Amino acid sequence: MNSKPARMMILLPAIFMASAFSLIPFLLFVSCAFKNPSDVAAVPPEWFPSFYLGSFHSAVTRYDIFHYLANSFIVSGATTLITISLGCLAGYCLARIPRRPGQVILMVILACAMFPQIAIAGPIWSFLRSAGWLNTYQGLIIPYVALTLPLAVWILALFFKQLPEELEDAALVDGCTRAGAFVRVVLPLSAPGLFTAAILTFIYAWNEFFLALLIMTDPAGQTMPVGIALFQGEFTVPWGEIAAASLITTAPLVVLVLLFQRRIVSGLSAGAVKG
Amino acid sequence: MKKAVIITTLSMLVSAVFIPCRPYPLNAQEPDTIVFLTWKPNQPEVWEKLIKEFHHDNPDLRVKVQVGPHSSTEYHAIVTQRLKNRDDSLDLFFMDVTWPPEFANAGWALDLTAWFSEREQQKFLPGPVAANSYEGGIYGVPCYLAAGLFYYRKDLLDKHEFRPPSTWDEMLFQGKRILEAEADPLLNIYSGQFKQYEGLVCDMMEFIWSNNGGVFDTGSGGVIINRAESVKAVTFVRDHIIGNAAPRGAISYEEPESLDLFIQGKSVFHRNWPYAWEVANNPEKSKIAGKVGVGRLPSFEGHESASTLGGWQFGINRWSRHHEKAWRFIKHMTSFKSQKILAVEASLAPARKAVYLDRELRAKRPNLTAFLPAFERARPRPLSPVYPMISQELQRFFSRAVSDKGSEIPQLADTAAKRIKKIRDLAESIRK
Amino acid sequence: MKKKEIKFYLALIAPALLVLFLFIGAPIVQSFIKSLHTIITGLPQLKAPFVGLANYKDLLNDPVAVHSLRLTVVFVATTTFFELLIGLLLALLIHHRFYGRSALRACVLVPWAIPTVVAAQMWRFLFNDTYGMINYFIFGADSASYIPWLAQPGTALFAIIFADIWKTSSFAALLILAGLQVIPQELYQAAEVDGAGVMSRFRHITWPLIRPALLVALLFRTIDAFRVFDLAFVMTHGGPADATNVLQLYGYKKMFVEGMMGYGSAVSVSIFVIVLILAVLYVRMVGRRMLEARA
Repeated sequence: MNSKPARMMILLPAIFMASAFSLIPFLLFVSCAFKNPSDVAAVPPEWFPSFYLGSFHSAVTRYDIFHYLANSFIVSGATTLITISLGCLAGYCLARIPRRPGQVILMVILACAMFPQIAIAGPIWSFLRSAGWLNTYQGLIIPYVALTLPLAVWILALFFKQLPEELEDAALVDGCTRAGAFVRVVLPLSAPGLFTAAILTFIYAWNEFFLALLIMTDPAGQTMPVGIALFQGEFTVPWGEIAAASLITTAPLVVLVLLFQRRIVSGLSAGAVKG
Repeated sequence: MKKAVIITTLSMLVSAVFIPCRPYPLNAQEPDTIVFLTWKPNQPEVWEKLIKEFHHDNPDLRVKVQVGPHSSTEYHAIVTQRLKNRDDSLDLFFMDVTWPPEFANAGWALDLTAWFSEREQQKFLPGPVAANSYEGGIYGVPCYLAAGLFYYRKDLLDKHEFRPPSTWDEMLFQGKRILEAEADPLLNIYSGQFKQYEGLVCDMMEFIWSNNGGVFDTGSGGVIINRAESVKAVTFVRDHIIGNAAPRGAISYEEPESLDLFIQGKSVFHRNWPYAWEVANNPEKSKIAGKVGVGRLPSFEGHESASTLGGWQFGINRWSRHHEKAWRFIKHMTSFKSQKILAVEASLAPARKAVYLDRELRAKRPNLTAFLPAFERARPRPLSPVYPMISQELQRFFSRAVSDKGSEIPQLADTAAKRIKKIRDLAESIRK
Repeated sequence: MKKKEIKFYLALIAPALLVLFLFIGAPIVQSFIKSLHTIITGLPQLKAPFVGLANYKDLLNDPVAVHSLRLTVVFVATTTFFELLIGLLLALLIHHRFYGRSALRACVLVPWAIPTVVAAQMWRFLFNDTYGMINYFIFGADSASYIPWLAQPGTALFAIIFADIWKTSSFAALLILAGLQVIPQELYQAAEVDGAGVMSRFRHITWPLIRPALLVALLFRTIDAFRVFDLAFVMTHGGPADATNVLQLYGYKKMFVEGMMGYGSAVSVSIFVIVLILAVLYVRMVGRRMLEARA
């Protein structure tokens, strides 16, 4: 099956199904953003009964969506930077130390990812309260780092482990320090892993709701999931505004990811494939 | 190129360490600030106006508002999290109508007897005041209240020359006639809230009370959820309402879904809180604006109609250091003037009796004055510090009973009764 | 290892471990301790007595808890299997070079980029029985055939499973894609020269080399699936009749609604123990060779 037309025959429907699966539910919902409030819950439903931009206007002005977006970017960005930094160090360590202790530490780190968030939230809240960190950015970022480290460490450790040590040794022989070898040899070759860990961390922090709700009660610091959850008033769910907000907040994230993917992954792994 | 990457990464790392530690001035607490943890209101402008007036009248105080979700469950989680940890950074909060006994017994809400005297209490509607009372003290001040109301399509009833039904059977009869005449396959008779959440308890208690059943007997205090009257009401809902008068999907409805069905014109009768009146008559949101009537819920033959009491009350954190200042805020928010503003501008039913006699209110919000009899008769759900546990058992019982056509309701009721008795006995045991 | 090396490696891993122990380790220990007491926040007069393993005994005898466990296991098994499968297919697809590949990658990212609470509201809307677009998509204007998804025990669980698969397949896809991207192209070229077909290349080159990524995806998906909460809370609140009352939702209701902190902590610890046992099993059976250096 190496011929072009045969490949296309399998690829095209696969591409179509993949994008349909991912996008159609989202588009179905986002169409609410463009409907009149009285058509949103129309029985029976319709695709495009009207074209109405009031929900967007309302989401931005009345519900202050950009403010929440900014907070989310700050918190998620800082979390990602710190997690990836600490994760690289820890992952490199675990990839190079002897097998037994490495496995044990990896399992311990994994165990830290297993505990239900609802049970962790209370003690974290108490700890932050005694530190005076409630309603501060760091009060949200540091717990997020703790929550995203396990996955980041595992991804990075496995990627670093897959690289043969000879490459680093060659760099060391050439006169690099260990840190230099790490940055010049190991990182570029693990670019996909690095990028994936960063993306997954960013999105985890972006999506996190439970802790954010508990820790940030001052509107000034609330992140986007909390902000959108607060769209709901007593007994009312403004579907139109929620849909508009979903669109406004998802689009830049996807664009950001695409940009970073092009720059970082291609840039770093350009010289790496030679191996 | 590589050098640039290294330098960029290092500088990102360095800034990452410093950015989060920059103290973001969110926690600045001046000495005379009182912190009010509330939920997101439907009309924030009205509340802001009231707070601004308070600042104007009390220049030595500032109110700092923190916002939580309006979902009663989630708001409860946030408030109790802080109160049980004796957090003194919180001064004021709201309580749903079923929370005061819990908050009082746990020592979270301050006893307000010193400020909220009996004479003052008389100026408020008796139902909410009773809901805020526990063991001789008063732990909250009612802000606004709600009660289950019965909405109907005035135009359809008039067409068939029906008067609003006074019994459930009459409602079914009228509904069937109207459905036959309208020939709209999507039209339902009834719409209500039957998802497995607190709203289910509100709806079901209205059916049960209207058949003279209940959870606890008012006289003896015994558990009567498994008595014949209660069981009959629950059976009625399973057999004649779910999947019959109301769509099967009503089991997944909270207030928004059930109201949507009504305002899309797909239900003749509807049970909801007072807020639904504004929405149903708003031509921007509703397809039946102007065609809506409202009145008492029906009852079973020979018994009284009943509606569930709802609403929110102010509470002061026992661990706060600004009791007196917090009280000043409550006094302002529950004054005649503020209550009237809430009623006229935000359409929230005031807890103060006198407001209902006000001429401007009667002119601008005739619906609120019309609801007053229902408010006066509204019944509270069981008042107990362990009400949340009782509510979970009730939700489980009701949901199992009405969602399964073959459910053995007397058995389920007996199980629920046993478990509720155990919970109540546990609460009683602490009094010894 | 030399002392200097030990110090070096310790310095590398210390910051991560410190953060983890402070913010995760300490809460875990606290929860363990709480689960050995009877704590009801609404009844402080009970004075939180130490009851040993009584909470755990009650859990085992609690039909609602056992039912929750069964539901959660069904949820975990189904979602993990399909998410890994779909994730693998998506990753293989995106890995191919074709025009518009970035656009597909962006599409696939969309479900994952939406906060879970928003997605849950979205699915609550889409699965509505009268105006939900899912019904409209399947049945068109034929309202009589519309299914009340969230009102029937079977379809309600299906709705939650479907929503989760939709949302999280991208997670597995991203992980497996990263694994694919480090496989050197020369291996494939050499295999082609040797005359190997697509299936053979997949079995002998791709599959073994993406197993680490698959293991990470499997482990972390299982861990997260056991802790599903937002979808059930928003879409069905655990109903109808506890049909979607997954473990963490049950724990939440016990801890935050009923104030039964001791019992709720026991639920959390139980989830932890179950997941830990599963993880150890996975690593033992599937991943033993993953953690060794590549030959």
